[in-house]
Amino acid sequence: MSTTILPEDRPLASHKSTRSRETKRYGFFPGCVAKESCKELFNSTMLLADKLGIELIELTAASCCGASVVNDVNRDVARVLNARTYAQAEALGLDDVITICSTCTGHMRAANKELLESEERMDQANAILGKFGAKYHGEVVVRHLLWMLIDDIGLDNLRSMVVRPLNGLKVAPFYGCHIIRPESVNGWESARNPHSLEDVIEAIGGEAVDYAGKTRCCGFHIQLEKDNVASSMVGQNMRMAKDSGAEAVITPCPLCHLALDGYQQDAAARWGRTDLPTFHLPQLVAFALGVPPEKLGLNKHLIDPRAIMVERELIS
Amino acid sequence: MAQIKLDIFRFDEATDTVPHRDIVEVDIPETTTVLDALEYAKAEVDGSISFRRSCRSAICGSCSMNINGVTGLACKTPCNTVMDDEGVVKVDPMPNFQPMKDMVVHMDPFWDKYARLKPYLQAKDKDSDHATERRVSPEDMKKLVDVANCIMCATCYALCPVVSVDPAFAGPAAIAYAYRFIEDVRDAKRTERIAQISEDYLWLCAHCYACSYCPKHVDPNDRIIDVKRAAINDKVMLDERGPRHALVVAKTIKQTGMLAETEVILGTVGRFNVRGLLKVTPLALRMVARGKLTPVEMAVGGTAPMLGLASMKPIPKVNEVRTIFESLEVPV
Repeated sequence: MSTTILPEDRPLASHKSTRSRETKRYGFFPGCVAKESCKELFNSTMLLADKLGIELIELTAASCCGASVVNDVNRDVARVLNARTYAQAEALGLDDVITICSTCTGHMRAANKELLESEERMDQANAILGKFGAKYHGEVVVRHLLWMLIDDIGLDNLRSMVVRPLNGLKVAPFYGCHIIRPESVNGWESARNPHSLEDVIEAIGGEAVDYAGKTRCCGFHIQLEKDNVASSMVGQNMRMAKDSGAEAVITPCPLCHLALDGYQQDAAARWGRTDLPTFHLPQLVAFALGVPPEKLGLNKHLIDPRAIMVERELIS
Repeated sequence: MAQIKLDIFRFDEATDTVPHRDIVEVDIPETTTVLDALEYAKAEVDGSISFRRSCRSAICGSCSMNINGVTGLACKTPCNTVMDDEGVVKVDPMPNFQPMKDMVVHMDPFWDKYARLKPYLQAKDKDSDHATERRVSPEDMKKLVDVANCIMCATCYALCPVVSVDPAFAGPAAIAYAYRFIEDVRDAKRTERIAQISEDYLWLCAHCYACSYCPKHVDPNDRIIDVKRAAINDKVMLDERGPRHALVVAKTIKQTGMLAETEVILGTVGRFNVRGLLKVTPLALRMVARGKLTPVEMAVGGTAPMLGLASMKPIPKVNEVRTIFESLEVPV
C-alpha cells in the first residue's frame, strides 16, 4: 500500500519557490530539445537570465525527463530518472528546478508528485539511486520559467525592465498541454482559462490575442505516428489564432515550437495559409528587455519572425 | 436569486440549414446547475429547447454539453462557476459530434467505437450454467473499479483534439473501456483486444491530457498509457510506428541520457522505409537550411546506431541512467 509521507497541510502540487528572493540562484533543466533542435531557446534563456539578474545553474548531468513517451514502456523509469535529477539539484544546494519546456514541466512535476505521495515509490527510487551513491530527499520544486517570471520577478518589475516594448504586436499565447494539464499535477493556474502568457505578453508591450486554440494540443507527440493528423492539429489551432487577429505566437514549450513552426506549411492545404511566426517565451521577453535581436536565433525559425518585427518597427 | 442569461445554440436538422442562438433570461439562484437552468427555461419559457438528461446527478451520462467553451456535465456545473460578468451562460452541443437538435447530438460514432471493442466479458471458460463463480482477487479488482465508473458521457471524446481532426481515432473512452477488459483476469481475449485497439489507433493519442477533465475520474489519459504498456509487455503489434517510437525513445535515453532526435525519427519511421523517410525529409532539410540541425548531427544520428554506437554524446555519468534502466528491467 502506498502511504503519503507528507503532513496533510502541505500542498503536494507545490509551485511556490522555497528559496528567498534575494538568492536568485536556480537549478536549470533545459531539456533535450533546447540542447538539440531548438538551441536558440537555450541561448535566449541564458541571455534573459543575465538581463533579469538571476543565476541559472545548469544541471549538466541530468537526463531526459521521459518526454511523456517513456511511460508507455515502463511505469517507473521516468520517475526514477527524474529522482536522479532532483538528487543532483539537492546536492548542489538548489531546491528550485526551472524548466523551459511544457512537457518537461508536466512530467517532472508528475514524477515528483508520485515520489512525494508514496513512501513506497520514494524508497524504490532511492534504492536504485543508492547503487551510485545518490539520494533524493524530496525537497525539490519544479517550476517553469514562465511561473518564475511572474512569481519571483513580478509583472510590475518585468514591465519596468522593458526597454523595447512590442508596440502592440498582436501575440497569440500557445501554452502547450503539459504546463497546464492535468491540473492536479501543475495547478499553478486554471487549466481551462490560463492567463500567465497573456500577462507576460502585455507586460512587455504586446497585445494578447484570445482564441480557443491556446490551451489545445500541437500534435507534437504524434508527428511521426500519422503526420497529417499532427499537422492538421497545428493548422486548426493556428487558423483560430490567425482569425482572431494574431500576428505572431508565443509558446513556453519547444515541442510546441517545433510543431507550430514546422507544420503550418503542411497544414495549409486543409486549413489555409497561416504562416504565423512563433517565438519561444524567453526570446520575446529577452528582446523586450534589450537583448540584441541577432543574438536570439530568430534566423533559426522556419517561419521567419523578423518580417513582422520589421513591419511593426521593432527591428530595422 | 440572480438573472441568468442562457445563450442557447438552436438547430433542428429536420428544418434548419444553419443554427441560430436564442437568449433566454431566467431568474434563479446563481448556484443552480446549468441543467436545472435549462430545465427551468424549457418549462417556463420555451418548451422546444432540446437536450438529453435523466438522472440529474452525474450517473446517467446524458447531459454532457459545451458550457462557455468548456465541455462537461450540465448537471455537475453550477451556473456561478461558469457565467461571465453579465451572467451569461453559453450552451452548445458537444464538439466532435454532429448536432441533431439543439444540444442533442448524433452519438453513433461514439457507440460504434465501443461496439468494435466487444464491450462484454469473453470468459476463459465456457461455463454456460454458471455453476462456478468467476472469482477475482481484490488486488486484481482494484485495477478495474475506477474505469468501471465510466458513464459513457462522451465528455472526453468531445474534448479530444485528435478526434477533431481524425474521426478514425478510437478516442479516450473506448480505449479506457478496452483497458477494463484487457486487465480483467477473467477475460480470454486480452491479446485480441490489444490488437483491435491498436488497429483503432491506440498509438494516435497525442498525450494532451484533455481527457483528464473526466467528470468521473476514470482518467482515460492514464488508462491509454496502461494499454500501451500492455501492448509492449505482451509484444502485440509492436512493429508499428507508435510502439517503435516509444521503444526507440527509451533506448536513446538509456544509451545517451538524452532523447536523441535524429535516431528517434529514423527508429520510428523505419531506417529502411524509404517512402516514409522521404516524407520527413523536406522538413528535415528545411531545419538544416535554417541551422536548427547541423548536417553532421543528422549524419551521425543516422549512421552511428547502425554501427552499434550512441548517436550523440552521452551526458556525464550516463552509467547511472543505465543502472536505472537495468534495475527496472526496461525492455530496451
